Amino acid sequence: MKRLLALLLAALLMVSVISVSTAAEPVTLDVIICDYGPNTQNWFLGNGMDGSNFVKKFEEANPDIKLNLEVISWNDVHTVVSTRISNNMAPDILNIDTFAQYATEDLLIPVSDYCPEELFDDFFPSFIEQSVIDGVCWAVPDLASARALYYNIDLLTEAGVENPPETWAELEDVCQAIIDFYGGEVYPWGMDLTTDEGQAAFAYYAWGNNGGFVDEEGNWNVNRKENVEAVEFAIGLYNKGYTNPNPATQTRYDNQDMFASGKTAMVIAPQNMPTYIKDKGGDINFGVADIPHNEGATSGSVGVMDRIMAFKPRTELNEEQTKARNEAIGKFLTFFYEKENYVGWVSMEDFLPAVNSAVAALVEINPDFEAWLAVLGNARFYPTAKPEWNDVKQGVIAVQQEALVGGDIQAGLDALQEKITK
Amino acid sequence: MNSVFVRHKWEPYLWLLPSILLMLIFIVFPIAIVFKLSFSHISPAGVVGDFVGFGNFQKAINDPAFKQVMINTFIWVVSVVGFSTLIGFGVAVLLNQKLFGRKIVRSIVVFPWATSLVIQASIWNYIIKYEYGNLNNVLLNLGIIKNAINWRVSYQIEFMWECWVGIFVTIPFVTFCILAGLQSIDSAYYEAATVDGAGAWQKFRHVTFPLVQPSLTVSTILNIIYVFNSFPIIYTITKGAPANKTDTMITLLYMRAFYDRQKGPATALSVIGFVVLCIVSGIYMVSSLRKEEH
Repeated sequence: MKRLLALLLAALLMVSVISVSTAAEPVTLDVIICDYGPNTQNWFLGNGMDGSNFVKKFEEANPDIKLNLEVISWNDVHTVVSTRISNNMAPDILNIDTFAQYATEDLLIPVSDYCPEELFDDFFPSFIEQSVIDGVCWAVPDLASARALYYNIDLLTEAGVENPPETWAELEDVCQAIIDFYGGEVYPWGMDLTTDEGQAAFAYYAWGNNGGFVDEEGNWNVNRKENVEAVEFAIGLYNKGYTNPNPATQTRYDNQDMFASGKTAMVIAPQNMPTYIKDKGGDINFGVADIPHNEGATSGSVGVMDRIMAFKPRTELNEEQTKARNEAIGKFLTFFYEKENYVGWVSMEDFLPAVNSAVAALVEINPDFEAWLAVLGNARFYPTAKPEWNDVKQGVIAVQQEALVGGDIQAGLDALQEKITK
Repeated sequence: MNSVFVRHKWEPYLWLLPSILLMLIFIVFPIAIVFKLSFSHISPAGVVGDFVGFGNFQKAINDPAFKQVMINTFIWVVSVVGFSTLIGFGVAVLLNQKLFGRKIVRSIVVFPWATSLVIQASIWNYIIKYEYGNLNNVLLNLGIIKNAINWRVSYQIEFMWECWVGIFVTIPFVTFCILAGLQSIDSAYYEAATVDGAGAWQKFRHVTFPLVQPSLTVSTILNIIYVFNSFPIIYTITKGAPANKTDTMITLLYMRAFYDRQKGPATALSVIGFVVLCIVSGIYMVSSLRKEEH
């Protein structure tokens, strides 16, 4: 009897094992999304998507895929990802700004392995190009933003300035006019040289002086004379008292706050600045113009783009499992970029789209988008496809901060160039 | 009989086992991992690679910011521990007196210590803000100044503010350590000293100070460790800017690990800090204990 019972139990166990292994196993994707603003968390995990959220809706539409999605602040995301990689716990899908380091360290899978062709063709080609290394695309853009000059019309008019500055010489004249009229009560020019966005400041001035991070062939060229002049000009604005008093610790958000309250007259900021001012309760009369440039150079906006990329699996998968995982990642992207979802997402946080199919709908929601899309068309992007980008980014910030306390700009940029090209 | 003896022999260790396990998992194991990582190559993305000997230590020490940061760390630890001990001692002596509202004052003194360091640092950040800062507002409203003052006019001044915030939040800890020591002194010693004709200073020097020294030793050693490892104040107020001029070792290693993606040199810095801390605390503890024995 006992033997019979044991046999029966063993048989039951076998059946249950077989039934588990033959049932379609749901694919679980670990996803990290960056926190873009007050609505991101709610849209992905709360009830900000028509009373539901992205994860819930996605899992309803794709019952064979489970999302383990985290929204992480920009302050922490690099720390979290780096720590997870060190512990062999890289996410399956990551939304972040840079990708080249992960690609060159062979941690990513090419976009062609998981992104449906129709979706891939929908991305702006100029955006996709920014994520290509040696002909392989490693990430897709999730959204973009572009920068422009915001100026307080009332403050400038009272100081006797009719038009916003177009050139550096005009910028200095306008700053001086504001100083002459308001004394120290109003900061003419908002400047952020912090570790948050000091690289953007470098780009504004270097690109506005025909300089930049790389040369025409795409090789690093941070110590060229145009860049040295550009940083000298920026630091000159600080030394003449035209800027906020602590550019090494006052971030773009501090400057935006001061612009919104009428303390700062001019600031370079992204397209969502009007919403930002409104949210801060600012009641100012402002205009938007091109970023000032040096005589003989052209103005160009700075484009900032974030990306979505897929990491290799943490454990070895067989062919079938790999296929299922890649399909799941593709379904995630398809669902995210589905017109009604994506338009809701981009317009909610006031960003610019990365796919053609969303443009018309977004322009309908906010007619200003059209002008910003034109700005974005002429924008230049950081060379994030180069693996040394992070060193360059931190390096130019350090050079600018050193220059604030009297450091040698040329020597600093020479040392940086040597470091990244040796 | 024998089993009882064995049980009695092992029982204390059995009771200690959970604590030992916790210490092994949460203290010893992470320290061992950091030591291992400090001798390994770690890629910018975070992948741990091969053994590289002292390569990470070389990079950490040859870092252009290293010298300045070591000086900053020394100033930071000495000034915060030194001034908070001096002021805390005075406050403890004051709070040991029988004065009106002593309990309320004692509760108030503990507030800065009970509040999170990030909140404290953020509040001080607002207080000293040039634009709309509380300090300027108060001084302007009282008519003490006519124009707002930039309290953060240079990085040296900013670092002094950071040291002040460090002192401010550390005073309560010292105060309560010393106060505990003061309250454990038997009043008979003071009565005997009075009979012998000792004045207030002599009582302090020959009764209070020697008897409170064990508490002082404990608070100073713990303070050296806490202050050396303190991260939120500097990170919140300046993030080490400009160009690492206000960094201490702890904030520099964080910036190197997570901003500059140089985890190898960052772990080496961490090990250097650990060793320095062990040596300094060890020297102080041994010399204090010897004095106490005398």
